[in-house]
Amino acid sequence: MNWAWFHKLGAPKWFFHYSKPWALPLFIVGCVSLVVGLIWGLAFAPADYQQGNSFRIIYIHVPVAMLAQSCYLALGVSGLVFLIWQMKIAPIFIKAVAPIGAVMALMALVSGAIWGKPTWGTWWVWDARLTSVLVLFLLYMGIIALQNSLTDLLLANKAVAVLSVVGLLNLPIIKYSVEWWNTLHQGATFTLTEKPAMPMEMWFPLLFSTIGLYCLVAGLALWRMQTEILAREHRSHWVKEEVMKHGL
Amino acid sequence: MAFDSLTDFFEMGRHGVYVWSVYGFSVVSLIFITWSTLSKRRHVQKTLRKRFKRDETI
Amino acid sequence: MTYLSFIRAEVLVLWRRKQNIFNALLFFLMVVVLFPLGVNPSAEFLAPAADGIVWCAMLLAVLMATESMFKEDYIDGSLEQLIISGLSLPLLLLLKTTAQWLVVFLPLLFMMPLLAEMLYLPDGCFWVLMATLVIGSPSLFLIGAIGAALTVSLKQGAILVMLLILPFYLPVIIFATSAVRAAQLGLPYLGLLAILLAIFLLSLVIAPCMAAIVIKASTN
Repeated sequence: MNWAWFHKLGAPKWFFHYSKPWALPLFIVGCVSLVVGLIWGLAFAPADYQQGNSFRIIYIHVPVAMLAQSCYLALGVSGLVFLIWQMKIAPIFIKAVAPIGAVMALMALVSGAIWGKPTWGTWWVWDARLTSVLVLFLLYMGIIALQNSLTDLLLANKAVAVLSVVGLLNLPIIKYSVEWWNTLHQGATFTLTEKPAMPMEMWFPLLFSTIGLYCLVAGLALWRMQTEILAREHRSHWVKEEVMKHGL
Repeated sequence: MAFDSLTDFFEMGRHGVYVWSVYGFSVVSLIFITWSTLSKRRHVQKTLRKRFKRDETI
Repeated sequence: MTYLSFIRAEVLVLWRRKQNIFNALLFFLMVVVLFPLGVNPSAEFLAPAADGIVWCAMLLAVLMATESMFKEDYIDGSLEQLIISGLSLPLLLLLKTTAQWLVVFLPLLFMMPLLAEMLYLPDGCFWVLMATLVIGSPSLFLIGAIGAALTVSLKQGAILVMLLILPFYLPVIIFATSAVRAAQLGLPYLGLLAILLAIFLLSLVIAPCMAAIVIKASTN
């Protein structure tokens, strides 16, 4: 197998030029797919026989929760990549994605809480999933806070990478412990995602909105990374050329 | 269409408040994160361009 | 410098800073006292909550003690000495954390019989609680060392350390209090102690290395 592409990834310049044409199309495809999925889910999918129309929150809640977890996984992996191969693009990725992940986790929390009101009768239940999303949100906020408070760039790169790696190792333990604790405390609660086999007309909008949100976030992440690359490499010649020639 | 009328669609059978507030919050959050991404991008490009122009005149 | 002289110096420094350790102990006691005063002093509330109260106080006291663990060494330059000493930095950090653990944790352990009385801890649970403290607290110190290393270059790092580290403490406190609760109900609790031990071993392997990476990056 040819590993050249992998090592090229370490060069921000190469990454910038290679990723530049991808951001906008990804973002647009994501938006279109998300809007299709949401409108389909809101207006055309049948209501759930148990939960009625409040079930339509799933088209936001599930994609957002999936992204919150995927983003953290990606942060942890890129932290590991940075610590092992010193790849320059990894801390840029972490800095770009952490705020997106935090917003996703917040959206998952809010939508979960609002969904909880009609289904459980309260805004908050110490349900295993909600609790672990809350912890995930705190982990994101920790990464962002650390990133913002360390002014030395090299140190911030290392520190944030270490924190994401430790978080990645801890995430399964936290998830498992919260689930275990939850079963001990209140027996089986009503779980949101384990439904009696979702019919196709409910499942397709969910697929659309999930794929759409993934593309949208990918586009946003690429934009943020490109911005960060420009800011970090502002001394090199190619950035000057890039900014002066292409501009806004 | 899963609803008979437009009012039905907004009511969502008593659950309208919850459904619409979730969708509203989510759309606002997505717009916020997109806006912050793009404005940061514009800001960085502007600053860099200004700096490069100044360097050239010197 | 050898490992032995490092340990000797470390113990001396800790002895000189005994006021800090004393403060951590007092802080632990204060947090425990807050619960009866702030929530409910009756035995019906305290007896089932005792293990949780002790563990919450423990987390906060450990965080307070470890948060500034590397700070003085960073300011006076001894951390750089450690890095260029030719000895293994993770091992040195591990020794430092162990010393910290011995000095802070042992007095806490001696306070436990008294606290167990004050919180009406059910009779059968005392030794289980002690076991969870002995097995669980090293993980707290090790993870806390990562937090202390991450914020070593900051002047005001205490709050940040709380934000960074407390989520990582959750599994420890969950499994520890669950073990005590299981013992209360007469259920088997050895499995939970084993999980605590596993978390300890995992942090024993990972935490010193991670702290060393950050310390190295901080002293440049």
